[in-house]
Amino acid sequence: MNVVVCVKQVPDTESAIKVKPDGSGIIKDDLKYVMNPYDEYGIEEALRIKEKFGGVVTILCMGPGRAVETIRTGLAMGADQAVQLDDPAFEGGDAFATAKTLAEALKGIEYDLIFCGKQAIDDDLAQVGASLAELLRLPQVSLIQKLEIADDKKSATVHRQVEGGIEILKVSLPAVLTTQKGLNEPRYASLPGIMKAKKKPLDVKNLAALGLSSDSVGCAGSKSIITKYTPPPPRAAGKIIEGEGPQETVPKLVKLLREEAKMI
Amino acid sequence: MNVAGYTIMGIPNFVLLSIVIIAALVFFVNRVKYLYIILRIGKEDNRFKEIGKRIKITLKRILLQICVLKDVRVGDLAGLGHAMIFYGFLCFAFSYIFMFGRGFIPGLSFHLLGASFAGYFPLILDIAALMVMIAIVWALLRRYVVRPPRLETTREAVIILGIIFFLMVFHFLMEGFEINIDSHETATLAFVGAAFAGFFNNMGFEKTTQEALFIASWWIHVLLVLGFMVLIPYSKHLHLILAPFNIFFKSLGPKGALMPILNMEEAETFGVSNIEEFTWKQLLDLYTCAECGRCEINCPAHLSEKPLSPRHLIHDLKVHLLEKGSNLLRSKNGGDGKTETGEAAEGYEGKSLIGDVVSEDKIWSCVTCGSCMEQCPVSNEHVDKIVDMRRYLVLMESKFPSEVQAVFRNMENNSNPWGIGWATRGDWAKDLGVKIMSEDSNVDILYWVGCAGSFDERNKKISTSLVNIFNKAGVNFGILGAEEKCCGDSARRIGNEYLFQMLAAETIEILKNYNVKKIVTQCPHCFNTLKNEYPQFGGEFEVLHYTEFITELIAEGKLKLTKPINKTISYHDSCYLGRYNTIYDAPRKILKSIPGVKLVEMLRNKAKSICCGAGGGRMWMEEHLGKRINEMRLQDALDVNPDLISTVCPYCLTMFEDAIKEKDVQESLKSKDIAELVEEAME
Ligand SMILES: Cc1cc2nc3c(=O)[nH]c(=O)nc-3n(C[C@H](O)[C@H](O)[C@H](O)COP(=O)(O)OP(=O)(O)OC[C@H]3O[C@@H](n4cnc5c(N)ncnc54)[C@H](O)[C@@H]3O)c2cc1C
Ligand code: SF4
Ligand code: SF4
Repeated sequence: MNVVVCVKQVPDTESAIKVKPDGSGIIKDDLKYVMNPYDEYGIEEALRIKEKFGGVVTILCMGPGRAVETIRTGLAMGADQAVQLDDPAFEGGDAFATAKTLAEALKGIEYDLIFCGKQAIDDDLAQVGASLAELLRLPQVSLIQKLEIADDKKSATVHRQVEGGIEILKVSLPAVLTTQKGLNEPRYASLPGIMKAKKKPLDVKNLAALGLSSDSVGCAGSKSIITKYTPPPPRAAGKIIEGEGPQETVPKLVKLLREEAKMI
Repeated sequence: MNVAGYTIMGIPNFVLLSIVIIAALVFFVNRVKYLYIILRIGKEDNRFKEIGKRIKITLKRILLQICVLKDVRVGDLAGLGHAMIFYGFLCFAFSYIFMFGRGFIPGLSFHLLGASFAGYFPLILDIAALMVMIAIVWALLRRYVVRPPRLETTREAVIILGIIFFLMVFHFLMEGFEINIDSHETATLAFVGAAFAGFFNNMGFEKTTQEALFIASWWIHVLLVLGFMVLIPYSKHLHLILAPFNIFFKSLGPKGALMPILNMEEAETFGVSNIEEFTWKQLLDLYTCAECGRCEINCPAHLSEKPLSPRHLIHDLKVHLLEKGSNLLRSKNGGDGKTETGEAAEGYEGKSLIGDVVSEDKIWSCVTCGSCMEQCPVSNEHVDKIVDMRRYLVLMESKFPSEVQAVFRNMENNSNPWGIGWATRGDWAKDLGVKIMSEDSNVDILYWVGCAGSFDERNKKISTSLVNIFNKAGVNFGILGAEEKCCGDSARRIGNEYLFQMLAAETIEILKNYNVKKIVTQCPHCFNTLKNEYPQFGGEFEVLHYTEFITELIAEGKLKLTKPINKTISYHDSCYLGRYNTIYDAPRKILKSIPGVKLVEMLRNKAKSICCGAGGGRMWMEEHLGKRINEMRLQDALDVNPDLISTVCPYCLTMFEDAIKEKDVQESLKSKDIAELVEEAME
């Protein structure tokens, strides 16, 4: 079983995101980048599949030079090789342009299964997995929490949480599956893993190598354009209701909820 | 009396003696050689530097018996007993030169060393013998009647004590007979011997009978001594021979520093998962253990009913070493024992070190408080063994309590265990007008705040107190702000040496860039790491804990504590400030210089203080097993009934505050950092 895991490098959730004064984007100077947490589930699941069935685990990542660090993290966990898509032309793409670029790269990789995270924690779009499946004409199941590959490796049973229960689906392979928390506990890379990762093959491809035209990728190839970023309004300070006991405070609270918060 | 020439069934005594001595030596040497070969399967470790210092330490600890006398107190006088037996035995060891010598040289006696020696030495021996006998009776009473928890009564112990006791008995018998045989000895000062002599004469023994009985006693004495010698290397009394060596080879580095893994980029395995991956010195520790249990009764993990006991850890490792070691040797066809690790593993299919011999639960129970090492009379080093096994689990197997993974990630991504955005590290000081190094590095002191002081709400208040104190004393100081990173103490003690070395390298570079000379830390863990561990990676700075620094400020008159705090206060020693860095007095001095403070000591204090439960990275792990260590320590405080428990470590403070809430004693006991008290008391 050869598995491809699409991995995105995203700013750490604890990074303070500052919007550029003109609203054209965010200030990236002080950002600490990490692997999109949902993609870690994909890598972990791919490694478990490899441990059971053998095969090759490939990381596919579209991202600039700094993304190498994230790719190495995945290789340190145990993935065998990686393909990085790096070209200034790829920048600023929406989910469609991203999926298109990834789909093109996947033509050169053998796979029986593709994992995407359910969403990237920066843009929070949750579209790339689905778009990718469409472009590749593959079945897709999103937000999976459990995966069982059939013995003949031709199909898989997946569980996904839906409101009030679990939906169990059978999907033929190859397929695109998007991963959700609960699928597994991603491993912490061992030190020999980290050392070995430095020597694992990392193939960097640019626009020319993919054979795409520059107007079909990145910002130019996008179907949606971000026109402006604004920071969330600063949160107002909380209010502490003073008073002796519930007899005094409760009426005050009700009044505030009705008149100021307009909730009741 | 001519012992050498006495014949038994026509064979001269000296011939028989030679045979017996050779036989005993064969047994003894064989066993010692065997132990030595097994020891050599351990890895290299150069412990031969600074020979002079080593000799001095060894002599001091052994000859002065500091090793056992240092913890003598009402209730556990065993150290005194040990010293009595030790000194008594030392006298006898000397006398045995003569006892054995006269088996070969007719007429050899104490007179060889002059008349006054011959006159007084028998008196000394008699006193020594009585002293030893008293100590042994006492030791047996302890084992069978008093039964303190640290002693496990073994048959071996009883046999050894019995032998020593009878050695003394036969000394008196020999002495008694000899006084009667060689009449010129009657004026002896050996009062017990003389009493025995009188008794034998009263019994009406003939001279020839007495001669025969003397020879019999001499022989029994000789056989007991040789038997004892042979028994030593087969028993825990190996410590009699090895303790001096083990103390000689003890680590001379700072107590609080763990050994680094060198060349991490090149090494293929990390940590220890096979007994032969320990160094020979770590293995020597195992042989030397006297099974006295001092480590165990002071171990917070053991006391809180967790599966770890440092004594059993050492003992189990020893049993495993002998079992696996002999197996390895056999598989090497009696080779020299220097097996390659890979080969070694093949020859042995028995127990695995981690799992079978030492469970993972034991490995994770340790708070690295260092009490075991502090109390161990033979200077065993327990913590590095535990950390070595943790290193294997973390670096090779990625196996650790699951809650730790997030902590590692947080340290990697945001340089603090909580994972709060690294850029906000200096935010606590925003409104305090503190110099940030990146803006103004013209400072005398770098104040190292630490992760807790930067991010933990409660501990941020202590950082603020320190800033106010430094300002009041006119100190020109700065902080690194967002450039400060976790010092890596927890990562290292959890076993993640890789992460630790990364953090250390980054920080050392930053400190060097600012040409920092003097650092004052808030947290004893940062203090220990910066002071004792960063030099391993080229980071040499003068590092002070704030309690040392404040003591200096008070002494120099820059800080005056004049406002009274009328409270009874107890002080909890932080392991990493106290035991690891021997700073016991500075915090107490500060407390005493606050008017109105009445300092009360908990029963377990200073070197015997018990950990709060958060050391060794346990701060970041759930405490699933046994009782809570912090509640156990809280009880120590409650027992002496203070108004306030004072700490100097963010972990200790957190652990106490949690315990106080959990036990619902907020009304009667408050907890504060000493910095807060200083701030309150300064004029
Ligand atoms: C709960 C929820 C409700 C929503 N409701 C609506 C709605 O009502 N209406 C609406 O219009 N939209 C809605 N959306 C948004 C919509 O579903 C998303 O716009 C869409 O799914 C976009 O995918 P994406 O770009 O976010 O994928 P991403 O979040 O960008 O990424 C998902 C995965 O794609 C892969 N990937 C992404 N980028 C790269 C890269 N550069 N290199 C390699 N791999 C990459 C990774 O595996 C990643 O984990 C909702 C989203 C969520 C989560
Ligand atoms: S360091 Fe402390 S917790 Fe660990 S074994 Fe020694 S005494 Fe016990
Ligand atoms: S390790 Fe040291 S303290 Fe512990 S039992 Fe052995 S000799 Fe005693």
